[in-house]
Amino acid sequence: MAEDPNTDVPRLTFERAIEELESIVKRLEEGKVPLEESVLIYERGEALKRRCEELLRQAEARVEKITLDAAGKASGTEPLDVNKT
Amino acid sequence: MTTLLITHPACLKHLTPLGHPERPDRLRAIERALEDERFQHLLRVEAPSANFDAIALCHPMRYITALRDESPKEGLVRLDADTSMSPGSFEAALRAAGGGIHAVDEVMSGRASNAFVAVRPPGHHTETARPMGFCLFNNAAIAARHAQQRHGAERVALVDFDVHHGNGSQDIFWSDKSVMYCSTHQMPLYPGTGAANERGEHNTVVNAPLSPGDGGAQFRTAMETVILPRLRDFRPDLIVISAGFDAHQRDPLANLNLLEADFQWATLKLMEVANETARGRVVSLLEGGYDLEGLAKSVAAHVGALMQG
Repeated sequence: MAEDPNTDVPRLTFERAIEELESIVKRLEEGKVPLEESVLIYERGEALKRRCEELLRQAEARVEKITLDAAGKASGTEPLDVNKT
Repeated sequence: MTTLLITHPACLKHLTPLGHPERPDRLRAIERALEDERFQHLLRVEAPSANFDAIALCHPMRYITALRDESPKEGLVRLDADTSMSPGSFEAALRAAGGGIHAVDEVMSGRASNAFVAVRPPGHHTETARPMGFCLFNNAAIAARHAQQRHGAERVALVDFDVHHGNGSQDIFWSDKSVMYCSTHQMPLYPGTGAANERGEHNTVVNAPLSPGDGGAQFRTAMETVILPRLRDFRPDLIVISAGFDAHQRDPLANLNLLEADFQWATLKLMEVANETARGRVVSLLEGGYDLEGLAKSVAAHVGALMQG
């Protein structure tokens, strides 16, 4: 088997991954990808999509949910449990 | 009745760059698979060369002569990112188109019940005047038009189960209501065409795109709910199959998960329609399929099904 060309993806920043993903989607939609590379580019796109989703989940988990008291004033924060939403 | 197997050694002499998936070993793998005893009743014939007038049913004469003139004396000449010609490519392309034409002659005249044409280069990406995606002449499209011009077939259906959309065939028949073009293929993938809303000028283009990861169940549903009903309504006088086997789960160029049994099933279903409307006439031409084991087993299943006709 050939070496996995996507080993760099888990280290990409969100900005870098989404930028490359957008460029891949554009190229696939425009039909400008050679046949032989088409599946490799699609698979890289999938890896980038997973990376973006993972980073988004991590970011969401860091968001602290603002809790309000009975009067509607912010009374504190609690961690957002992403698994329950 | 007889199933024809048409091929030609010249098709091995279309050389592609080292490591290119569309390579002569594909035909060698098919040849080995069809040496099995259960294929001993195939009638094996060599593909004649197509004459330029027959190819001109789908491509302008200047396109044909330009390809001839591009042929290198040695080495390879590159036509696009995927497609190249070696010194043997032009003859291979003439034999590939000629194989389909000969199959149509034999099947339309009733001398054979159906035929499989094992040739390369493949054809379904070639548009009216543009070689692309490993393809030089659109062999299946030429076969369909030849059946109309020479044998009086009024309506021909071209069914394409290659994993890539046959943009070339769709382009050629876009405004032709006498040829129905039906395709299952992976989207997104090369060449980017083949959305369900691409229907042709007369609603005779039928695209049933599949998603990466889809397998036999989704493929069979697409055939049964989208393609086969439209074919039955169309009532073709001949079914031409663009038989690519790269939707096989082993194939390196796509992400569908079909198995040999799915190709066998689809072949039998298409033969059912042909029996209802076309006196069983089916002409199948090889398109893609790049994993040698998956290709060989799938072709064996496909040809085995044709032999039941």
